[in-house]
Amino acid sequence: MQFYNLIIRDLKLAFYSSTNFLLAASFLILILILIPFVFGSNVSNFSLLFRGFIWISIALSILLTLDRVFNSDYEDGNLDTIILTQIPIELIVFAKFISHWIANCIPIIIVIPLAGILFEIGIQDSLNIITNVLAGSPGMVFIGSAISALTLGSKRAGIYKTIIIIPLYIPFIIFGADQESSLVLLGLSMIAGVFSLFISVYSLRLYAE
Amino acid sequence: MYFKLPNKIIDELRRWLPILSLTTLIVFLVGLYFSILNSPPDYLQGDSMRIMYIHVPAAWLALGSYSFLALSCVCWFIFRNPNFNLFAKSIAPIGAIFTLIALVTGSIWGKPTWGTWWAWDARLTSMLILFFLYVAYIMTWQSIVNKELAAKISAALGVIGFINIPIIKFSVDWWNTLHQPATISKLSAPSIHISMLTPLLIMTFAYILFLATLFLIRLKIEIIEQKILRANK
Repeated sequence: MQFYNLIIRDLKLAFYSSTNFLLAASFLILILILIPFVFGSNVSNFSLLFRGFIWISIALSILLTLDRVFNSDYEDGNLDTIILTQIPIELIVFAKFISHWIANCIPIIIVIPLAGILFEIGIQDSLNIITNVLAGSPGMVFIGSAISALTLGSKRAGIYKTIIIIPLYIPFIIFGADQESSLVLLGLSMIAGVFSLFISVYSLRLYAE
Repeated sequence: MYFKLPNKIIDELRRWLPILSLTTLIVFLVGLYFSILNSPPDYLQGDSMRIMYIHVPAAWLALGSYSFLALSCVCWFIFRNPNFNLFAKSIAPIGAIFTLIALVTGSIWGKPTWGTWWAWDARLTSMLILFFLYVAYIMTWQSIVNKELAAKISAALGVIGFINIPIIKFSVDWWNTLHQPATISKLSAPSIHISMLTPLLIMTFAYILFLATLFLIRLKIEIIEQKILRANK
């Protein structure tokens, strides 16, 4: 039961601070808005560009929100309190992953069809992209959270955290831009989930000492 | 953080480093003589393929250094002996520079043979990522003030980055790329002529000696730094 309480707590925190809740989705839209400025508004085939850019902007918006998985709790001391509870540390990490994915990737997924309308993407293509994002984004969130847990202790982690995370995102972007590989993405997400769980637990144990 | 290397090792290093440096220099000169003056030009690429004697050993040792780094990190996790962290920390900048050498010489070699400085080819891209992995590893040590914590975190990071090594190694086999597949690894019948293989092997030996020299110098610096840190505590 406490596992669900933890998820609900994080979701409430994300929801009540409304800027946080909408940040990832609006960032995604803002990056996509830049496409017509770069390539001109007369491009005949936006759908190919869209497919690529959507993954770049998803990666960037996930990177943008990573500070809120562990860092904010670590800075105000709540993380220590949560670790001191009866919940096993693995479940805490898993709850953090899930709540962060719900709080940031569900808005992104809701926004994708709207962005699709802006770029004249058909419903079928939109659904295709959404399936891929549904399969791939958990893995990206897991990896990002794990690395940000690993770098909790450094003052300016934001600078070099991205250097570590972006190379690890490459497989997701490769398969994400491909139309028929949502199953591969799902597998990648699962592998990433297992490894990220180990890394996060390892680093939380370090910092909770 | 403490270390268990005997104090004697610094004296040993002081004694052996000049000899090692001199040997490196001599082997390099011999290797350069063979690779520039005493080996045939390629029948297709002409003299431009001579950059291979610099490019290939650098690329091999860039991969080798990262493997060594990851192995040291794994050993640190198993034995918890801080020396392994010193090994990993000492080899990281050298590996980064070797990766850079491989990338730059490869790009210079690519211009006359492929007609382009850079291609978004699997092996080239993964080598570039390897460079950033080295950078991330070095930056971890620099950005975390508490060195005991930095040791633990950088060890985890070094192990994570090892995912990239098999990807680089097999990228030319998995994907049909511009970069040629391995020519030397087939030890029984390498698809390179013996007159070119000899200078390549000498150059590789020279590079290994060079790597060892730099590594031992860095190791000496790290040990002295540890001593200073401990003295200041």
